[in-house]
Amino acid sequence: MNHVNAVTFTIVVILFLLVTCVGFAAARWRRAEDMMHLNEWGLGGRGFGTFVGWFLLGGDLYTAYTFIAVPSAVFLTGAVSGFFAVSYTIMVFPIALIFLPRLWSIARVHNYVTPADFIRGRYGSRGLSLAMAFTGILALMPYIALQLVGIQAVLTVMGVGTSSNNTFIKDLPLFAAFLVLAVFTYVSGLRAPALIAFIKDILVYVMIIVAIFYIPTRLGGFGHIFGVAETHMKTVNPKTGKPTGVFIPTTGNSQLAFATLALGSAAALFIYPHTITGALSTRRRAVVKRNMALLPLYSVVLGLIALLGYMALTDKVTAANVKKAGGNAQLAVPYLFQHMFPSWFTGIAFSAIVIGALVPAAIMAIAAANLFTRNIFKEFVKPDASPRLETKVSQWGSLVIKTGALLFAIELPRTFSINLQLLGGIWVLQVFPALVFGLFTRWFHRWALLAGWAAGMIFGTIAAYKVATPTTSHWAGSTDIEFGHTVYIGLTAVLLNIAISVVLTVILKLTKVPGGADETLPHQYTADGEVAEAPAPAGVGLGAAGAGAVGDLQPLRGAKCASGPTGRGQMRQRPRDAPATGW
Amino acid sequence: MTQPAVQPGKPGARNRVAAHPYISAAITILIVADIFFALYVPLYARATPKVGDFPFFYFYLLIYMPATGIVLWIVYLLQRRLLPAAPAAGSTSEEAR
Repeated sequence: MNHVNAVTFTIVVILFLLVTCVGFAAARWRRAEDMMHLNEWGLGGRGFGTFVGWFLLGGDLYTAYTFIAVPSAVFLTGAVSGFFAVSYTIMVFPIALIFLPRLWSIARVHNYVTPADFIRGRYGSRGLSLAMAFTGILALMPYIALQLVGIQAVLTVMGVGTSSNNTFIKDLPLFAAFLVLAVFTYVSGLRAPALIAFIKDILVYVMIIVAIFYIPTRLGGFGHIFGVAETHMKTVNPKTGKPTGVFIPTTGNSQLAFATLALGSAAALFIYPHTITGALSTRRRAVVKRNMALLPLYSVVLGLIALLGYMALTDKVTAANVKKAGGNAQLAVPYLFQHMFPSWFTGIAFSAIVIGALVPAAIMAIAAANLFTRNIFKEFVKPDASPRLETKVSQWGSLVIKTGALLFAIELPRTFSINLQLLGGIWVLQVFPALVFGLFTRWFHRWALLAGWAAGMIFGTIAAYKVATPTTSHWAGSTDIEFGHTVYIGLTAVLLNIAISVVLTVILKLTKVPGGADETLPHQYTADGEVAEAPAPAGVGLGAAGAGAVGDLQPLRGAKCASGPTGRGQMRQRPRDAPATGW
Repeated sequence: MTQPAVQPGKPGARNRVAAHPYISAAITILIVADIFFALYVPLYARATPKVGDFPFFYFYLLIYMPATGIVLWIVYLLQRRLLPAAPAAGSTSEEAR
């Protein structure tokens, strides 16, 4: 449909090669004595400070969902199913600030790598922990697939590989990108996405600042863009007999849908295993807290990216291109860039999206692999697995998970992407009661939580399956009507989940069913590993004491001189598995 | 896995809240307000007053984002004041190993 632009293509390839090199080189960054440990491969040494943590978490939270799916939803239906993402990323941070520091502390004290590790320790229940691990892996699959769909959208607009009808040839570039991602994740673990996140975040910032100042000047200013969008959203769609979309949610029902989608997604984001992986890789409790205040700076970008959907709507050429491509709205942003920017800058913008999808995909694969290793393999197959074996299993697990996601991405309908993420959200929300309530109280009974989880999962999946529109028969959205109100399914499901957990807890307590052992202690939920450890070496090791004083600027230096001695002293204080299983 | 010995008298989270009722209340209010003003859509789901070319709804959400950053930074600073002046030395080192 369009031929490959040589300049754009070359720039994307060069930046992709750069990222590949960085991905492999990352294995040497902040190198530890023994890399074959999950704390190293899976959590990057648990030593990232505020600065690296900001880039890593920013790169982790803002995914192809942000760059492709949100603007495409805004393009299609406006505020409720698209712009809610802005409200969602506002609420994420205050919500996460309530529980995430506690999770960080307890994970540091007990050396937990995954959220399911915590569930296991808190409730003494392998079953509940397995359920949590299973949910995490299940929810991450479509999320990784969404990243690949995002890459695919860019490749399609670039004209790479679309000339053939053969699925294999058509998706060959995607396979190539995928293979590179898989290999560097295998080699470098979390260090790779952490280092690549710097490149990603800079590219994304450049892309969006240029886009937001330049594109409106070409399209007659924001006033015109909003005007066109408003008119378009009010136009009645002949197929459904309803307005195309919602420009501003003024009816009670659309407001409720907007609010519940935002709240549900916000509650879900920081219980996704990959965001927890990012949070647990930080050095101190304060790093997590500071980043909850600093990450909204990144979210400003999300709000602006969402508006790209309206710009694509205003630009007639882009709108026509999308229509020509079978109405695939995921192509809206790539087409907009291609039409608006000179080809060299299109290359940079496309690279930002591709790399922007690679970083979270890598972290998600690592998180899912850690869940498999710690909570399925070690728990049920080989309880005496050494740290070395654990790491090996995780490395291979990450490959398997990415392959699964690739199949997801190729097999499912392309217009599905925002719903993929929302479906993952519905599932992962069912972990919320056990995980978040568990951080504050041990009142809930393990079997009650398990039953609540099962009910939420079943209800959520069936409800999401049944959502239909005139054009799609199943999985058409993530809101449905409960008692006459349009509500996010994930939220309904988790309320059901909580209700069942409460009722069953009361019953199980009355019947005195054993509640399982709790290996955590109250004060451990506010512990800060590094602060407590600092006094000990202060009089002894100059390097360590100095590093403690420099505080959060340390990772910067560690980044610049990979083998610098200053960073090391501190790294070694990191808590390790207490009963060191020999190998 | 780790069963630390009896803890030296370290003030728990609850004690700290009790010792600083005003700061704790301020933290709670800030966090709840931050969530509420984004969650309660009727508050801002309006086209007017327009700010520049932006309908109020879009302007509000875009400006809310940096505002959240500032509010949460204040919360972070307030929470630091809840901590004991000197970090409770050694109290967590045993189980952290």
